[in-house]
Amino acid sequence: MTPEKLATDRLCKQYTKAGTQLEVLRDISLSVADGEFVSIVGASGCGKTTFLRLVDGLIAPTSGTVLIDGRPVSQPGPHIAFVFQQDGLFPWRTVIDNMILGPELQGKPARQCRQRAREILALVGLEGFEQHYPHELSGGMRQRVNIARALAIGADVLLMDEPFAALDAQTRTIMQAELTRIWRETKKTVLLVTHQIDEAVYLSDRVVIFTARPGRLKEIIEIKLPRPRNLDIKWTPEFVDYTNHIWHSIEEEVRMGIGLELTSRT
Amino acid sequence: MTGAAAAGTAPGRAVLLKRLSRSTQTAFSLLAAAAIWEIMGRFVIDSPILFVPFSRVLVRGYELWQTGELQQHIWISFIEFIGGFALASVVGILVGGVLGGSRFLKNLFEPWVSMLYSTPVIALGPLFILWLGIGVGSKIAIIFLTSVFPVLINTIIGLTTTDKTLLEVARSCGASRSQLFWKVQMPAATPFVIGGLRLGVARALVGVVVAELFGARAGLGFMILNSTQSFDTASLYVGVLILAVAGIVSVWLLKLLEERIAPWRFTEDDE
Repeated sequence: MTPEKLATDRLCKQYTKAGTQLEVLRDISLSVADGEFVSIVGASGCGKTTFLRLVDGLIAPTSGTVLIDGRPVSQPGPHIAFVFQQDGLFPWRTVIDNMILGPELQGKPARQCRQRAREILALVGLEGFEQHYPHELSGGMRQRVNIARALAIGADVLLMDEPFAALDAQTRTIMQAELTRIWRETKKTVLLVTHQIDEAVYLSDRVVIFTARPGRLKEIIEIKLPRPRNLDIKWTPEFVDYTNHIWHSIEEEVRMGIGLELTSRT
Repeated sequence: MTGAAAAGTAPGRAVLLKRLSRSTQTAFSLLAAAAIWEIMGRFVIDSPILFVPFSRVLVRGYELWQTGELQQHIWISFIEFIGGFALASVVGILVGGVLGGSRFLKNLFEPWVSMLYSTPVIALGPLFILWLGIGVGSKIAIIFLTSVFPVLINTIIGLTTTDKTLLEVARSCGASRSQLFWKVQMPAATPFVIGGLRLGVARALVGVVVAELFGARAGLGFMILNSTQSFDTASLYVGVLILAVAGIVSVWLLKLLEERIAPWRFTEDDE
């Protein structure tokens, strides 16, 4: 039995917007084992991203706790790395300087960080691009740098918020394969939010389904596909069974979500 | 090997060609303007009080240079311009930095800034002459006031419109508030600051002339005013021409500065 790396305990989040209370998340208790890859799927607006931001400590929960290695999280720090949907690369920094941002902000010596960053850059397949500026890279490459930057923080836990959403379908597929490889080689604990059901199934050990707002745990599905997985696995009947199952579970939530949006607009 | 070498030189040559054609186009445009000026002055407008041909302006400039008068005017205006604009840049960036970094101070002072920005400060010119005298000091004050606000306002805008994702990335890396300011907001604001400096430079040049119109003993504005009053139109155009060149040169210098400290804004142009 692998030890628990990350846990949330009855995590709730409410916003007050224009005088009305908005409940985004209700009682999310989730436990993630060390080295596990867990994806979160759900209808738009179900609080998936909010959940990630709570885990990172970027925002504070209304109630409940987040534990990493048994210690409560109250603010962002070097113990967790966050990969944002937009690549968020600093245009005035070269690839290598973007990568050492995290260590630099924590006051670590630059030279040491650069050496480590070079190794990580090789891991994400961008060796030789150290001195390039972000605008000189393609969307896929920028997203690799984004992931590399998160890896360079040296955290055991990686939170990813739809990291491939801005990429075209083909690049996204390649990046999924790359991410499994990187995950296998770095043995990180990953929590990934995605809209793509096949992406969730392909990458994950477990897929967590959130209900429509307020987001609650609806179902947790263990993906018992063999590893290492290559992209061909997406055409196997087992894989399709998983995606079908998840889609049917999500479908009514999506419909409810649309209904919620319609009523809140009128 | 050869393929790679050819691929390496081809874009280089294309860039060179583009550069060359660009400077040729500029030169052509300038020459054409000079020619039209000359023709207008010689054959169309024959009153030497209203207009003079380009060649006569050049000759007049040379004469003024020979007497040493022109250098003196240029020098005085240059000192005023540099003093006023340097002060405006430093104060604009510093105050803009403080106001852009603190929401409280920004709310407190922004109405004043916008009010002063839209006030024609020039109207206060005579007052400055009364306060600070007819010398360089009053000119520097007027130039400072005409050019400080674009710098200040652009600095505030640059600091307060930082890409949210960049701020979140830094926050998720555990950045402190001062790190957010120095490592994210400040560099992100740099192109805005330089844009403000560019606007400020143009206004500072206008400030030089206007400040000297109110009362001065020397300077290009003084020379322009003086030559109008003595119907020496050629000297007037000498002054205007020098100010135009100064404008082009200072904007070009600021562009060089921007290329140096914000290189990521330019490379797409060259491709």
